[in-house]
Amino acid sequence: MNTHDRKLRHGMIMAFVLLLGACATSPEQPSEAERARAALDELQSDPALASRAPLAIREAELAVTAAEDAERGTELAAHLAFIADRKVDIARAQAETRLYVDRREALREERDRLRLMARTQEAEAARRDARLASLQAQATREEAAQLRREIDELNAKPTDQGLVLTLGDVLFETGEATIKAGAHNDLDSLADFLERYAERDVRIVGHTDSVGAAAFNEQLSERRAEAVKSYLVSEGIRANRITTTGRGETTPIASNDTAGGRQLNRRVEIVIENPSVAGR
Amino acid sequence: MKTQIFLSRRGALIVTMALALAACASTPPPVASLESARQAVAQAERARAADTAALELSEARDKLAAANNAVKNENMLIAQRLADEARVLAELAFARAERADAQRVNAEIVEGTAILREEILRQAGGPR
Repeated sequence: MNTHDRKLRHGMIMAFVLLLGACATSPEQPSEAERARAALDELQSDPALASRAPLAIREAELAVTAAEDAERGTELAAHLAFIADRKVDIARAQAETRLYVDRREALREERDRLRLMARTQEAEAARRDARLASLQAQATREEAAQLRREIDELNAKPTDQGLVLTLGDVLFETGEATIKAGAHNDLDSLADFLERYAERDVRIVGHTDSVGAAAFNEQLSERRAEAVKSYLVSEGIRANRITTTGRGETTPIASNDTAGGRQLNRRVEIVIENPSVAGR
Repeated sequence: MKTQIFLSRRGALIVTMALALAACASTPPPVASLESARQAVAQAERARAADTAALELSEARDKLAAANNAVKNENMLIAQRLADEARVLAELAFARAERADAQRVNAEIVEGTAILREEILRQAGGPR
């Protein structure tokens, strides 16, 4: 008895629900224009866009209203909704286009500002570079002048191989390879020079006159060149910058027949080599 | 020049067809709507919508072709609607092509600004 009642009540409720459902569907069918209306609302509530395509938005509004007014479920409603959808899209595209155009001026100003900044910076850099270059040029000029002065002081002759400095026979006693006391002045300025221009190597070449045996003279000239090297090393010049040669009597620069010529031939030549290009 | 001749010939054809149909049918073909749609498509094409709004443009062309077909089949109501739909599609293609152009111009400016900014930073950080 009890279960029967319950079944009956269930049946009635279900019938009622179905009835309600039937009532609801028919008049409450969604409008074809719903999507267009939502899109239009969104566009109109966007503060960046709403005012930027007034004409197109008004046209879209008319199209949406017309679509809403059409009888639902008809081909006309579908057609008008199609039109309304596109009209809203057109209005949005136009508003966005307008927004791009309106923002363009500010973008250009920003770009122009940076362009000016870049140019100013470039000009400053150029000025700085020019100043640096002129300072460097001046330094180079001063260096060259300094070198010239020092070469003059040294009494050296610039040649293709380098600076050639000839020390006369005042350095040594006849037949000796020991540097005379008091003959150090020339060697000291040479040592100073080599110290300052550390990239220049030096060749020391000893020569004699033709008095005496040639073999002895060669040895003597070699020992004299070595003596000069030892002195320079004792003054702090690195030994591996210095090479020595003894030419004996083989390379006279004057006649050995006169005392004056022999004196000229007794000499030590110092060749200060030009710095290698890579070294500077 | 060639297209111009072609279009005007087609325009003449439509008018002729319209007159012929008007003589025997009660509903005249939507000549004005078809012409508006055709012009809207041409305008979108001139704005190079084929590059930037290809989908909308091809839809518009299809609808316009369908509208002309409907005229042939003497279905003037359908022709009218298809022509109107073709027109809004073409107008949408045009509007989106214009938007793409505007966006591209801005993007180029922004890109130029970014390059300048980078250059300035590099310069400022460089030799100092």
